[in-house]
Amino acid sequence: MRKNNCELIRRELDELMLDEACSSSMADHLRNCAGCREFQEKQTKLRRIVGSLGTVAAPPDFDFRLRARLANESSSAVSQFGYWSRRAFAVAALLLVFATGAVLVRNVLEKPATVVDVVTKQEPTMHQPAKPVETGAPVPMDPNRKLVAGIPDKRPQSSRPERSVSAGSRNKRPLVAADFSSERAEVINGMEAVGTSAAFPIDASLEPFKVSLDDGRGNARTISVPTISFGSQRIVQNANQFAPKRVW
Amino acid sequence: MNTLTTIDELGFAPALQQDVLEDTTSDHALLEATRTGDQDAFAELVSRYRNQITSFIYRMTNDYDGAVDLAQETFVRVYRAADRYQRSYAFSTYIYRIATNLAISELRKRKRRKLVSLTGFFQQTDGGEAQELNPPDARPLQDSELVDTERRNAVQRAIATLPEKYRAPLILRDVDGRSYDEIAKILETSEGTVKSRISRARGFLREKMRAYL
Repeated sequence: MRKNNCELIRRELDELMLDEACSSSMADHLRNCAGCREFQEKQTKLRRIVGSLGTVAAPPDFDFRLRARLANESSSAVSQFGYWSRRAFAVAALLLVFATGAVLVRNVLEKPATVVDVVTKQEPTMHQPAKPVETGAPVPMDPNRKLVAGIPDKRPQSSRPERSVSAGSRNKRPLVAADFSSERAEVINGMEAVGTSAAFPIDASLEPFKVSLDDGRGNARTISVPTISFGSQRIVQNANQFAPKRVW
Repeated sequence: MNTLTTIDELGFAPALQQDVLEDTTSDHALLEATRTGDQDAFAELVSRYRNQITSFIYRMTNDYDGAVDLAQETFVRVYRAADRYQRSYAFSTYIYRIATNLAISELRKRKRRKLVSLTGFFQQTDGGEAQELNPPDARPLQDSELVDTERRNAVQRAIATLPEKYRAPLILRDVDGRSYDEIAKILETSEGTVKSRISRARGFLREKMRAYL
């Protein structure tokens, strides 16, 4: 009990400031306890010695050195900014060079492929020269050829295969087709065009019509014709399939 | 700070706290001015705290040149962080915290480099701080001033051997005379921990300074 009391008193003594008056209970204990009294004396002496250390002054050139240090740091910060900005510029220039090079390489790689493609597509066209359609005369038909929705071929023959290929490959919708290759073409006189007729929609491709031409010297030109929509058209009963559009 | 606590005890706390508040506000105002580029305001701050900070770091590291460097680093950090400074604490608490952290970092660096002070002769076997061999001079002293000087040197060396966690609160309390509350804020710990550490630090010192007490 007494030991606990001494610990408590010493803790309180520790927390007191120097020259601070202690409480009456603490003073009573110190009068009766030699150990705590000795502790207080030594503690006070130690604290006086430690407190006598005082303040050590900074050197006279402290401010000057500090200003120089701050100035040096700010200038180094500026130079660091310059260093990083130069690096950023170099990286940006490098990226630009790479991007330009990539575009050029891509162009070089793609150009021959286009020419070959055009030539390949043009091959059947080159072997089938365009023939003018003569109204009223039977038109020789290609046996392998099918007419879409029974529409007479009024375009030049050179462009037709290209359109058929593209329609067949790109348009996934079912085609209304009639094969007249085994029948003899009829001659229309133009007067039979008027009369009762049935109307049905023509399924035409929505893809634009493209023609690629090669002049034989490696120069390819592509002509694109926008999609022409006819909507619903009237067809004459027993009409000649190859009659001109005017008679519809 | 001793005075503040004393007057606190006497019941004059409000008036003195007002003075402290004005002083603190003045420090804040100087830092605000520093933030706007006023170099004179920063110079005034430096002139107010350079001796305190240098002295505190010197007591912590027992190396004057190093302490001056670290004190300058403290002010450089204050200057650089002026934009981020928050007024939730007194400026003195803020700058002492920076100085304490720098001093503790320096002590840890030294420990890693296994630098032993020239005054330290023994190293604890349990990996603790260096122990000072500090025998009292048995010769008769000529002058009481010499006695005091010898004591101060001895206690400085003894403080330098304390573990850093005991050293900082002891210096802040017994050398700089700061309150427990402020020490707790500077060291970012509780007041109870501060009291406990100071008590243990005094116990260590009593053992080391037995010959002088």
